[in-house]
Amino acid sequence: MTLKLNQKDCHNTLTEFISEDDTPVIALVGMPNSGKTTLFNTLTGSNFKTSNYPGATVEYSTGKLNEEYGLRANIMDSPGIISLNPSSPDEEIAIDGLFNNPKFGVADVVIVTCDVTQLSRQLFLVNQVISTGYKTIVALTMNDLLDKKQIYVDAEKLETLLKCPVIKINSKKKSGIQELIKTANSVYKETDHSIYKTLIHKPPIPDIEDVARLYDYTEEIEQKVIKHSKREIDLDVINKNTFKSLSRIPDAGSLKLDKYFLHPFWGIIIFVISMGIIFTSIFWIAQPLMDLIDSGFSDLSTLVTEILPQNTWYSDLITNGLINGFGAVMVFVPQIVILFIFLGLLEDTGYLARAAMLIDKPLTKFGLNGRSFIPMLSGFACAIPAIMAARTISNRRERFLTILVIPLMSCSARLPVYAMLLAFLVPPGKPWIGGIGLGALYFFSIISGAVTAGIINKFKKTNEKSTFMLELPPYRLPVFRHIFKNTYYKALIYVKQAGPIIIVFSLVLWALTFFPNQEPVIPPEKTAGLTEEAVTHLKESERLNTSYAATIGKYVFEPVIKPLGWDWRIGVSLISAFAAREIFVSAMAITFDITESEDNEDNFQKSILGSMREARSPDGTRPLFTTASTIALIIYFMFAMQCLSTVAVARKETGSWKIPLIQIGLFTAMAYIFAFITYRGLNLIGIH
Amino acid sequence: MIQINNSDKLPLNEITKSVSDLQIGETALISTVGDDCIDIHCHCLRLMELGFTPGQEVTIVAKSPFKDPVAVSIRGTIIALRKSEAECIKIL
Ligand SMILES: Nc1nc2c(ncn2[C@@H]2O[C@H](COP(=O)(O)OP(=O)(O)O)[C@@H](O)[C@H]2O)c(=O)[nH]1
Ligand SMILES: [Mg+2]
Repeated sequence: MTLKLNQKDCHNTLTEFISEDDTPVIALVGMPNSGKTTLFNTLTGSNFKTSNYPGATVEYSTGKLNEEYGLRANIMDSPGIISLNPSSPDEEIAIDGLFNNPKFGVADVVIVTCDVTQLSRQLFLVNQVISTGYKTIVALTMNDLLDKKQIYVDAEKLETLLKCPVIKINSKKKSGIQELIKTANSVYKETDHSIYKTLIHKPPIPDIEDVARLYDYTEEIEQKVIKHSKREIDLDVINKNTFKSLSRIPDAGSLKLDKYFLHPFWGIIIFVISMGIIFTSIFWIAQPLMDLIDSGFSDLSTLVTEILPQNTWYSDLITNGLINGFGAVMVFVPQIVILFIFLGLLEDTGYLARAAMLIDKPLTKFGLNGRSFIPMLSGFACAIPAIMAARTISNRRERFLTILVIPLMSCSARLPVYAMLLAFLVPPGKPWIGGIGLGALYFFSIISGAVTAGIINKFKKTNEKSTFMLELPPYRLPVFRHIFKNTYYKALIYVKQAGPIIIVFSLVLWALTFFPNQEPVIPPEKTAGLTEEAVTHLKESERLNTSYAATIGKYVFEPVIKPLGWDWRIGVSLISAFAAREIFVSAMAITFDITESEDNEDNFQKSILGSMREARSPDGTRPLFTTASTIALIIYFMFAMQCLSTVAVARKETGSWKIPLIQIGLFTAMAYIFAFITYRGLNLIGIH
Repeated sequence: MIQINNSDKLPLNEITKSVSDLQIGETALISTVGDDCIDIHCHCLRLMELGFTPGQEVTIVAKSPFKDPVAVSIRGTIIALRKSEAECIKIL
């Protein structure tokens, strides 16, 4: 799976920056968690937009420098990198973006954020950046944390050793920022712009000896610039006495917390509880909001129906096509928002990396990664936010594999379908059998996801070796403002980019189920004595049963699904369910002439179950819904890629049609084959 | 990188001990990184770039319940490594 970077695909629409030639571009570069984004937020205020490369986790934020600093400049935040030598396709994009960004070209000034609590490591990247020829300024971050150890960095000394400006900053307290900008400005002014950009080059790829030598150098610098706060104390003496280098001991609080959070027993308990909270939140907290959006759109649809002329195709297009399409887009927003708030919390506090570490081992067996866990768990609520959450997986192959199997997780839209079919199967008075059945369906969806991932992983060989190597950042208090802002952009990107595809799909489906019979004619003797509502239902059912979808259902689907014991009416319902799985239930109600309204759940359930019992197979000899054919239908829903919104989001997140097409082809084939085996197998052992 | 094809036949002496052999809380000095890596796709260079260089002190902070990955403290930070990755880092 190689990625071709397509300039046109880089969605520039969200970007906000000054597009004049003489405005300097300042790029922020640094290792992960070194404080780039915090500095970026301080520099730009709220004037920033995030854009990302399709199919990659590489995200660039661009923004205008806040006016209070008295300089016109564009600021670019870049993804954290360890060094300038890429070791994965995503890193390659991130690093290429530094040298030739599709938006900015070559930056005029590079500010490297350097976390002083791990100075010898961070100077490694600083050195590499300086050697590229970029005008470099080093911004020292986390000085407050070093203070706690009673040591500090001598910035002036570091400046002479590195031969580039070094400034201590604290982005949260806004100290050192003015000086940083002033320095950037003077560095920019001193630059000879006629040759500057031609001198910049990517450093050659070092070998192991080069890296060791570079580290010897950074250690030497570290030793010279790190000093004890009390002047009379010689740090070397302390280090000799404790046999440790004071500047190279990780954050004490984090080490203490990790005793619990990464404890073999308590660690798992905390993991299960926190994942449980996330899962139940996206499942239960989002539900009322989704219902609200749902009913809001159907109220709007009713309202518009009353305003528009009756019985015209365009009023139906607006109410049932467009408004429902918008509703289908918006209904996922609550789940996306909740999931991304939790993801932001986990990431900001430092727990996300640890959670990934705890669960990594079992997932590697299936070619996945510790970071696949949260997306897959979210898949049980809804595949859309789950696929978007897969961005946190930095390994490309593992991310695509995770996205691929997410639709197999038993999402909440399958629940109404399962509920109806299980209610049909379960003998009266024994509802607990349905409960066990539902539990089994959830369990099997985990198994099928894991097995599918495992098999694909076995067959699709790769050169990109799976690595973990994840920094566990110090535990920190989250900044809610940043989490909410980030979540807002995630939701916005979803609405703007996946939304149009979902709406187009909904319109196509609407056309298939509406045309050609715009004005259904019902013989008067059939409507005699019926309420107006019942007549409307009859009309709807007549229209659907004569629509193109029905034609396709009869002539294309019925021959195909007959071996599974189904007829064209189920076929039409399956087509309708492409808009969303739960629509299967209402489509069944329409194709089987249910005149009860869905609002009265008890009556609706009774009446649809009654219709299912009465329905006859195409030749009229046997009942259509038997134990075997209904179980086959459940099996079909377990696997089939029965959701166009998921297809749209998978397309958007992977940057190509490859993954969504595999999902449609493979999962539908699996669904068909397993449903066939189930139906025929049950028939063979005498269950009909 | 010196490539040794029959590395599993080597006697298990002190020199071949790696970070993955350490217990929680144990500290050691790195001797070499990726010296007997058989795998050409190994990520030894990246390990070095992350700061695992000869002479550095490493401490095992934690192990996941499946003993893999392990959390290793190095140069002022903590990095989680899979066992296969930790095996590339030999200790004294
Ligand atoms: N104590 C302290 N924390 C900081 C400082 N700068 C950033 N942080 C925190 O460090 C964490 C990582 O910062 P972030 O900007 O997201 O790093 P990035 O990965 O480089 O973008 C965040 O929780 C910040 O709040 C600082 O100067 N002092
Ligand atoms: Mg960042």
